[in-house]
Amino acid sequence: MLPLACYGLEGLRQSRSWMTASSLLTFCVLLLLVSTDPTYGNQPANAAEKQAIQFNRDIRPILSNKCIACHGPDEKQRKAKLRLDDETSAKTSVIVAGDLKKSELISRITSTDADTQMPPPDSGKALTETEITLLKQWIQSGADYEPHWAYVAPKRFPVPRVKDTTWSPHWIDRFILAQLETDGERPARDADRLTLLRRIYFDLVGLPPTPSEVDRFLKDSSPEALSRVVDRLLASERFGERMAMYWLDLVRYADTVGYHGDQDHAISPYRDYVIDAFNRNLPFDRFTREQLAGDLLPNATIDQKIATGYNRLLQTSHEGGVQPKEYLAIYAADRVRNFSNVWLGATMGCCQCHDHKYDPYTIKDFYSLVSFFGDIDEAQHFKLGSNALPTRRPPEMTVLSRQQRDLETTLLVQIAKVTKAVKSNNPPKTNPSKKEKSAQLKILQDQLAALRKQARPSMVTVAIKPREIRLLPRGNWLDDSGPIMVPEIPEFLGTIHSDRGQATRRRATRLDLANWLVDSQNGVGGQTARVMANRLWYLFMGAGISRSLDDFGGQGEPPTHPELLDTLALKLVDHDWNLKYLIREIVLSRTYRQSSRASAQQLAKDPDNRLFARQSRFRLPAEMIRDNALAVSGLLVHELGGISIRPYQPAGYYRHLNFPKRTYKSNTDQNQWRRGVYVHWQRQFLHPMLRAFDAPSREECTAQRTRSNTPLAAMALLNDPTFFEAAQGLALRVITDGGTSDPSRLRHAFRLTLSREATPFESDTLLKLLDQSRKRYRDTKPAADQATQAALARLKPGQKVETSELAAWTVISRVLLNLSETITRN
Amino acid sequence: MEPLQLKRRSFLAQTGIGLGATALGGLLGKDGIGAEAGVAGLPHHQPKVKRVIFLCMAGGPSHLETFDYKPKLAELDGKPMPASFTKGQPIAQLQGKSLKCQGPLVKFRKHGKSGMEISDFLPWHAKMADDICVLRSLVTEQINHDPAHTFMNTGTGISGRPSMGSWINYGLGSTGENLPGFVVLTSVGGRNPQPIAQRQWSAGFLPGRFQGVELNSVGSPVHYVRNPAGVNLVEQQSVVETIAALNRKRNVTFQDPEVETRTKAYELAFKMQMSVPELVDFSDEPQEVLDMYGAKPGDGSFASNCLLARRLAERGVRFIHLYHRGWDHHGDLVRYMNICCGLTDKPTYALVQDLKRRGMLDDTLIIWGGEFGRTPMFQGKGGPGRDHHMKGFSMWMAGGGIKGGVTYGATDELGYNSVDNIVHVRDLHATMLHQLGIDHRRLAVKFQGLDMRLTGVEKSRVLTDILA
Repeated sequence: MLPLACYGLEGLRQSRSWMTASSLLTFCVLLLLVSTDPTYGNQPANAAEKQAIQFNRDIRPILSNKCIACHGPDEKQRKAKLRLDDETSAKTSVIVAGDLKKSELISRITSTDADTQMPPPDSGKALTETEITLLKQWIQSGADYEPHWAYVAPKRFPVPRVKDTTWSPHWIDRFILAQLETDGERPARDADRLTLLRRIYFDLVGLPPTPSEVDRFLKDSSPEALSRVVDRLLASERFGERMAMYWLDLVRYADTVGYHGDQDHAISPYRDYVIDAFNRNLPFDRFTREQLAGDLLPNATIDQKIATGYNRLLQTSHEGGVQPKEYLAIYAADRVRNFSNVWLGATMGCCQCHDHKYDPYTIKDFYSLVSFFGDIDEAQHFKLGSNALPTRRPPEMTVLSRQQRDLETTLLVQIAKVTKAVKSNNPPKTNPSKKEKSAQLKILQDQLAALRKQARPSMVTVAIKPREIRLLPRGNWLDDSGPIMVPEIPEFLGTIHSDRGQATRRRATRLDLANWLVDSQNGVGGQTARVMANRLWYLFMGAGISRSLDDFGGQGEPPTHPELLDTLALKLVDHDWNLKYLIREIVLSRTYRQSSRASAQQLAKDPDNRLFARQSRFRLPAEMIRDNALAVSGLLVHELGGISIRPYQPAGYYRHLNFPKRTYKSNTDQNQWRRGVYVHWQRQFLHPMLRAFDAPSREECTAQRTRSNTPLAAMALLNDPTFFEAAQGLALRVITDGGTSDPSRLRHAFRLTLSREATPFESDTLLKLLDQSRKRYRDTKPAADQATQAALARLKPGQKVETSELAAWTVISRVLLNLSETITRN
Repeated sequence: MEPLQLKRRSFLAQTGIGLGATALGGLLGKDGIGAEAGVAGLPHHQPKVKRVIFLCMAGGPSHLETFDYKPKLAELDGKPMPASFTKGQPIAQLQGKSLKCQGPLVKFRKHGKSGMEISDFLPWHAKMADDICVLRSLVTEQINHDPAHTFMNTGTGISGRPSMGSWINYGLGSTGENLPGFVVLTSVGGRNPQPIAQRQWSAGFLPGRFQGVELNSVGSPVHYVRNPAGVNLVEQQSVVETIAALNRKRNVTFQDPEVETRTKAYELAFKMQMSVPELVDFSDEPQEVLDMYGAKPGDGSFASNCLLARRLAERGVRFIHLYHRGWDHHGDLVRYMNICCGLTDKPTYALVQDLKRRGMLDDTLIIWGGEFGRTPMFQGKGGPGRDHHMKGFSMWMAGGGIKGGVTYGATDELGYNSVDNIVHVRDLHATMLHQLGIDHRRLAVKFQGLDMRLTGVEKSRVLTDILA
């Protein structure tokens, strides 16, 4: 957290938040400088006066926050038939461009008479002096409107010229540096190589580097050292697991139905599909298409069908007394909320009942979108859903993962070969080699049978005859008076039909919708790419270029670097939606490589790092905290995909669940030690450790998790048996591999946990604690036995370790695993 | 912390509350459980109460067998339910069934100076008729348990919004030094208990520290509050102290305020490890008190939870939410009412009286009720019972600033629709916030572009008629 002391609140609002009101003048002057740079924009220099105000950046947020609720898109709430979001409406009534006196808007906002004053005093909204000044300047200079930045396709911008051409030739850096130079700022120095390596590991694979990986990198002085690491990590299977953590938050993936009985439902193959898609770098347009409409693709593959599990991820219920009609309406709304949030960065939830108050989405748009999903078979679960574990949610498909299917193919080929060999000759009994072949065949067939047993059911989408979708007035599912809707995109974005105007049209499908999303020519491909590019930037820089990852509407924050955001989006489109390409570009930029340390001056001038003149430092997400502890302690088991796993969990945690009553059995095999992304996601009672570290319940789309620091989280990391066993594992590892002296063991522990040497202070403090603990545990043998039980069970045959020694090192390990630095991505 | 900080900052910008830099810094700087300031500018007015104890009778107790006597329904017992009431109405388990009137299954008598009508199922409530204000005209918008609880707790049926306990702690801050400001206690008994989701005490889009913390009656009272096996308190203390020392030393170079916040959270965690066991240990309660509640230490009963609620109240906890699960009486209503009332009636009375004699009832608001009521229509899963009902049901409030001995609002002659002084769940929320010194219209947080409030965007009113 950063101090905000020198900022007044108004200075912090929306797009202007990185600028104090007093710096406004400077800002305008600087803009003037920018505008004279021919590469930067096409405006003639004499238009500089006009450029000082930009509608999207300066005016729209004011109107949106203070005026639009009553003078905006929502017809029912609209007062005086005035729309300030609509240029024509505004300019035929209260705004006369260039004339403050004749503009009623100005007299209203400057009035002190409660009857005429705008916003009305009882609205609780008031304009600040700065805002009034901006509105005046805007009207004075012509009151130009701009279409909302997020609704227009990204534009191509030349890479800006910078004064300091030595800092970096990378296009991303040029955009960042150009803005910094405009503001008279400098980027931070580079992070030290160790910090950078750890950052890249956590960012790309969600795991810390091993000591040998650290050594290798630090010794490699070639210019390609970094890109080699990046390429290796991007090619690692751990990359898909890491990226899936984020995607699964967006699409609200969970292992249970969410409502009422919160029974398990069958969906884990979808999670594996997501991991696999990131690993094989499935282009984002295809990833989009397969999830929304894989079943409608010609000759849909098994993976494409598994992908359609996306449409089934919503919360469902079959609580006794559920009214199907009501729940169909609830499900429909859930889908549109998620769909619009994930791909459009839109908050369409309000349109379930009324037109959006701030954005041009209407209730009609909402139910037109609902209509796309009207072919999803969901009647079955009302009939067949049960209180069994897992419950039934047909249509389901029993599938092997892609890797398992590859293995199956290999086995089938071998079996065919061996069978041929067996059959083509004399009876096997007479020939010993034939006997061998038969035995081999038996083994292969057993392997195949065992493999096929691992097939798992997964909910999928099967299209049926689309049900009738009506617009529900005020969202009331009992009201059948609304018009019947057909699939259509939000009206202000055009139409899904290229043959607009024809009398008969084919009913548009989910596939049409998906194609529209990723079509940068005739659809909103560029806009979709912008939403995703902004989220990738957030993952690797700690904050989005538009801070509102889930609201690209009028109430969201406009991007701080709109040209860069557009360029990132277009690069994604131009490179065939290649996510690894874009990620690689970001992490190899010098912007990414900056230190996260901010000078006092930086903190004062740009506390929220809106200039990206430094990297971010933040606590690891919940799953990574688990993965990191398991990795450094040597307990982590890497296995790709599979059923969801159940780590230790406090007894009785599920006691509030019923239908059926739940008993939690933690895994006793190696599944206990797998990555957080595989943990059973019980929506109503998410694992308390994950919850303590802000993992969401996944009932709704989460684009950005909060990051809190609470005593509950501290207690989880201190006392959760998983972490206590990890501490014991680390202790055993340190004793076994760390040499024989205390200092050398401590050195090893530091290298494993923090990838660095201990400072003298750290060393002294910990060696003292080690001595104390050793003494205590020598005196209390039973305590030492208890505190080392898990580690003792892991001893290799013949290995002997003094329990008091192990217990004492466990104390040290607990300290190390709980250090702020250990759980921080820097 | 940056995104969170950003959010909170824009929250504040949106609430339109003038904030000095100091107050803002104070809010952003603290991130632990324990005493902390709330949103600056709050309370909006002089509060009547410091805390709320919400006694949630989960499953939906019948208003027709507790506080809402309907002689006309008795008259029509066994006769078809007039279609004028039910036509086009959402119905839960009785969908498509023939609908018959079910007369009250218990006698009612008048009690207290006010002559409040209370059923014979609640003899202990009868003794405190003059302490409580019964609201007979509640209305909710959800007819199934899970969404109805969500509606009662968050003001909407949509998942992911903050619950009322979180809102209150966010707005007012908490006063408990070593305890969370929002604690949840649960007990069971009656008909097959309906599940209750953690969503009901979720902080939604508010920072995680405002979420409700479950106190468990079995196992560890709070998850992970106990040391791992073989670790004693002294060792735990030295671990925490060493973590703090190393964090702080390292942070001399980095000057990252979040490190300090996290380090403090560790120190608080350790304090909680000591304060929680003391909290749940009833050995300092005289036998007379245990008897008054009917509490047996460690039994996890509603009675024990009521006593625990008083101890939490004494320790400054802002919002204490008790759930008793077992009120879903689709059938055998009489039998299960006897069980549920048997388990909850006396402890509820004891809680009110205990707070009163300690002078704490004046600054505590107690709210009693389920997520909805039950139909005037018969349902027969086993003996006679009733289905879920959302158009009219009863709750009560008592304590600071609430008029005792008052019956407010009314349902129609069959107890179907609330018709007089209708109290929507939002009005209940508005009134509760009002008693805490909060103007419900002004406690807003910006989320996904909207000013979110506990009371939402629809109109809601403070029930001024019942305020003393």
